[in-house]
Amino acid sequence: MNLLEFARGPVIHWALIILVAGTIWRLLGVLILTRGADLSRPRDAFGNFKGYRTVFSRAWPSGEFTVATRYQTIMAYFFHFATLIVVIGITPHIEFITSLTGYSWPALPNAVGVAVGTIALVSLIALIGRRLSMPKIYCSNIGDYVTWVLVATPLITGLLAFAHLGARYETMLAIHILSVAALFVWFPFSKLMHSFWFIFSRAQSGLSYAHKGVRI
Amino acid sequence: MSTPATITPIFPTFEQVCQGFGSQIGMLREMAPKPTHSAEVRVARAIDTLIAETNADEAVWLESCIHCGQCTTACHFFQATGETKYAPMRKMELYRRIYQREIGPFRWWYQLITSPIKLQDLEDLQELVYDSCSECGRCTMVCPMGIDTASLVHHLRSALVAAELVPPELSALREEQRHRGTVFGASSDTLLQMVKTISEHYGVEIPVDKASAEVMVLSSAVDLVANGNGLLATAKVMNHLGVDWTVCTDGFESANFGLLSGDMTLWRRQVEPIVAAAQRIGAKTLVIAECGHAYPALRWNPMLKSEDLPFDMVFMSEYMGRMAKEGRLRLSPLKGKITFHDPCKTGRRGGAFDEPRAVLKAMDADLVELPANREYNWCCGGGAGIFLLERATRLRDESFKIKLNQVNATGASMVVVSCASCRLNFEVGRVKNHWDKEVASLVELVADHLIEPPAAATAGAHA
Amino acid sequence: MAHNSTLGELLRSQGVSRRAFLKFCTTTASVMALPATLVPVMADALEQVRRPSVIWLSFQECTGCTEALTRSHAPTLENLIFNFISLDYHHALQAASGRAAEAAREEAMRENAGKYLLLVDGSIPTVKAYSTIAGISNLDMLMDSAPNAAAIIAVGTCAAYGGLPMAAPNPTSAVSVSDLIKDKPIINIPGCPPIPLAMTGVLAHYLTLGTLPALDALGRPLAFYGDTIHDRCYRRPFYDRGLFAKTFDDEGARKGWCLYKLGCKGPVAYNACANVKWNQGVSFPIQSGHGCIGCCEPGFWDNGGIYESIARGQFGTGPQMGVAGMVGAGVGAGAALLARSKKERAAAAHRAAE
Repeated sequence: MNLLEFARGPVIHWALIILVAGTIWRLLGVLILTRGADLSRPRDAFGNFKGYRTVFSRAWPSGEFTVATRYQTIMAYFFHFATLIVVIGITPHIEFITSLTGYSWPALPNAVGVAVGTIALVSLIALIGRRLSMPKIYCSNIGDYVTWVLVATPLITGLLAFAHLGARYETMLAIHILSVAALFVWFPFSKLMHSFWFIFSRAQSGLSYAHKGVRI
Repeated sequence: MSTPATITPIFPTFEQVCQGFGSQIGMLREMAPKPTHSAEVRVARAIDTLIAETNADEAVWLESCIHCGQCTTACHFFQATGETKYAPMRKMELYRRIYQREIGPFRWWYQLITSPIKLQDLEDLQELVYDSCSECGRCTMVCPMGIDTASLVHHLRSALVAAELVPPELSALREEQRHRGTVFGASSDTLLQMVKTISEHYGVEIPVDKASAEVMVLSSAVDLVANGNGLLATAKVMNHLGVDWTVCTDGFESANFGLLSGDMTLWRRQVEPIVAAAQRIGAKTLVIAECGHAYPALRWNPMLKSEDLPFDMVFMSEYMGRMAKEGRLRLSPLKGKITFHDPCKTGRRGGAFDEPRAVLKAMDADLVELPANREYNWCCGGGAGIFLLERATRLRDESFKIKLNQVNATGASMVVVSCASCRLNFEVGRVKNHWDKEVASLVELVADHLIEPPAAATAGAHA
Repeated sequence: MAHNSTLGELLRSQGVSRRAFLKFCTTTASVMALPATLVPVMADALEQVRRPSVIWLSFQECTGCTEALTRSHAPTLENLIFNFISLDYHHALQAASGRAAEAAREEAMRENAGKYLLLVDGSIPTVKAYSTIAGISNLDMLMDSAPNAAAIIAVGTCAAYGGLPMAAPNPTSAVSVSDLIKDKPIINIPGCPPIPLAMTGVLAHYLTLGTLPALDALGRPLAFYGDTIHDRCYRRPFYDRGLFAKTFDDEGARKGWCLYKLGCKGPVAYNACANVKWNQGVSFPIQSGHGCIGCCEPGFWDNGGIYESIARGQFGTGPQMGVAGMVGAGVGAGAALLARSKKERAAAAHRAAE
C-alpha cells in the first residue's frame, strides 16, 4: 500500500470517524448540562427572545470597537471565507463531498481556486504574525500554535498539490490528505470547536443581557 | 419650607466623605478574619462551589474562547497598565481548567494531563477577580464569541469565598454584614438619628416605618454614616413628588456585601428582609438608593422570583426618570455643559439608560455624551468593591485616567454620576489628578434644582 | 543462432549500410532522451557487441505484453529479433515447443551464463501449482533462471508489481518479480500492456550502452515513466479551466474536455501514453474519450473504481459515520449526565460547608 492509498484509505476513514464522534461527544457533553435559572423578571415581555439577535449582530464589532478591531476582523474574515470557498469550491473537494453525501455543485476554475487559496494562506500568515508580535494581548497557549499549524498545513500542501508544485503529485496529495486527517482528529479537542460554540455563547450572553433590556 | 440658602450645611462635602471613608477602609484590613481551614479543604470547597454554579450557560462561554485578544481593547485595567495578566481572558484560565477537569466532556483525559488545583492557584486568582475586575461587562461588548466574563468572574468570587480568599477589606465588611446585617456600623438607630437630624436641621420630613405605603425607599450605609446629603436629597425629591413613601428600619440597606464578596448565601439573606418589609407595607415600588451594585442585588437577583412579587424594583435614577417623563419633576434649568457617566451596574449590566437622561432633560441640561457612552461606557474602575481595596489603588488610579480623558473630551465642566462607588472613585480621582471638573450625584443635583410650589401646597405634601 | 559474430559484422553481412546503422543509433538515442554526443559512442559500442541472449519467461500473463511488443515501431520487433538480440526462448514466438523448447532454454542459459537478459512477463504465484511450464512451477523457474542472468526486465504490470492476478483477493498468492529477486538489477516496464516503445527502447539502451537506463523509485525507466499522463495530456488546459465531461456522451465529452470526473487517473499515473501514444502514435485512451486507468501503477486494480475520480476515496461509508455519530452522542450525553450528578453532589457539599 503506498502513501496515497494509506492516506485515502484507513487514515481518512478513521479521522472522519473521530471527527464525527468527538464533535458530537463534546457538543452533547456540554449542552446536556443543567441550565442556569434566572428567576428575576425580564425587563420586557420579549426581552429574552430579542437576545438571539446577538448571534448575528456580533458578526461585526460594533460601535466604538470598530476601529481597534478592524484589522484582525478583516484578516480573520478573509481567512475564513477564502478557506470556505476553497473547501467547497474546487473540483477535487466537491468530488470528495459528493462521494460522502451525494450532493454536488459547479466548481470554480482551478486558477481561481489557487488565487483564493493564496489569499487564505496570506491572511492566515498575517494572523499568526500578529499573534506572535503581540503576546500580551493574545495570551496564546500551545493549543493556539498547534491549531495554526494544523490549519496551515492542509492549506499549504493543498495549494502545492493543486498547483502541481513541490513533490510529485501523488506524494503531495497524500501529504495533503494526511494533514487534513490530522486536522480532523484535532478538531473536536481544540478551539476549532468555536465554529459551533459561537452560536451558543453569543446567544447565551445575548439572552442574559436582553433579559435586562440591553442590546449587546 | 426653609430654603437651603438659609440653612448652614451640616453634612460633610463629598470630598470630606471620601477622606473619612479612606481612614475607615484602612481599619477594615485589620478586622479581616483569618482563614481557618486547611489548604486541602479550602481548595475542595472552592471547586465544589464553582462547579455547583457552573451550568451549560457558563460551559459554552468557557469552551468558546479563541484567544483573539480583542477583550483587551475594552478592559480599562488592561488598557491602563498594558500588563498581560489583566487581560480579561486570563480570568477564565483557572476556571476553564477546573471545569475541564471536573465536569467537562473530556474530563478523564484532562485529569490525566493537567495538574490538580492548588491553593496557590486560587491565591493567584484573587487579584484577577477582585482587584482587577469590576464585572463591568465591557469586554463582552467586543468579544466575537460574546463571552460574559463578568458573570464568570462572579462565580469565581463565589469560589474564592469558599476558599476563604476574599480580600481583607471586603472580607471584613462581609463578616460584619453576616453577623449584624449592616456595615460601617450603620444600624436602624443610625437611620433614626439621621432622620431626626434632617428633620430638625433642614425641616425635611422622612416618614419612617409607616404601616403601609406606595413607595418604599432604601438608603445605604454610605449615606447614613458619611454622606448625609444623600438621604437629604432623596427625601426632598420624594416629598416634591408628593408620593406616599416611607423608609423601613427593618429593611433599609442597599449595600449587599454578599454580592460584592461573592457570597451567594449572604446575598440572598440580605435581600430577604427588604423584600419582606416591602410586602408587609404593601408597596408598589421599591426605590433603591444611588448604590450601583444594589440594583443587580435586588432587581436582577437570579435567586428571587421577582415576577411573583407585587412591587417593582427601580433604581433611584430610573425612578426619577419615570417621574420626569410623566412631568412630575419640576426642575429649574441646570447651567453649564455637563456629561453623564452610566454606572456599569445600572447601564450596561442593568438596562436603565434612558431614565437618567430623561431627568437631565427635565433640567434642560446641555448634555454632551461621552465619546464612549451607554452600553459602550468605560467603567470608572471603582465598582464591584474595588474602591475598598487598598491593594488595588494603582489599578484604580491608572484606569480612572481613561475616564478623565473621556470627560475632558466632551468639553463639559461637570460629570454627573449616579452610584456611590463611581462617585467615590471620581471624587478621589479628581483630587489626585487636580482635575478641574465637578463631580455631581444625580439625586443631589435634582434636589438642588427642585422648584417647589408655594408653601401651602408643600405643607400638605409632608407626611 | 550465430553468437560469435559481432553485431557490426552481422549487420554488414545483411547489407545494412553504415548510414542506416547510424540512423538507428540516432533514433534510439533520441527515444531514450540521451544526448547526441553519445551517438558515436553508441555506434562504436554496438559495432563490437555480440548479440546477447535473451530469455523470455511467461508466467501468469495474458500475452498482452507480447502482443504489444509486436506493434513496436522503433525498433520494430522483427528488427530487434533478427538484428540485435538472440531471442532464445519465447512461448509465443519460438518455433520449437515441448521438450525441444525447454532444452533450448537450458542450453542458452548454460552457454551465456552471467550474460543473458531475462525478460519476465506475468506474475508469479507463490502457491506453485497454479502455474507451471513443462511441469516446472513459475516460482522455481524464476529462481533457477535469475542467478545467472545479467539483468532482469519485468515486462508489464503483472511482472513488475503483481498486476491483475494480485488484485484482491489474490487467489493464487501472486507476487511480482522484485518481491522474489533481491540481488539482481531489475528494470520494471509496467503498463497493461506497456507501451511497445518502452520495451524496445530499454532493450536498445541496454544493448548499446551495456547499462540500465536511469530508473525511478519504482524501478521504471525515467525516459518513459518520468512524467505523469496529466503533465503531458493535451486536455490539460480544460482541467486547468475547470471544464470537465460528466458523462461519456454529454457536451463536455463531445467537446473533448478533461475526464477527471469520469475517473481519469492521469495525475497519478506515470507513463508515456500522452506523448508517445499507441499504435505508432495514433492515439491513447484519453484521446479516445476514456480516462486513464493508471495501469502502470502498483495495485491499480484495487485503488478504487475506474470511473471514480481520484478525489473519491475508499475511506468508509455513511453508515459507519452514522454509527460514529451515535457513539459520540451516547458518550457525550453520558458524560453530561454524570457531570450533572457530580454537580449535585458538589452543591450538597457546598451547602453542608456553609
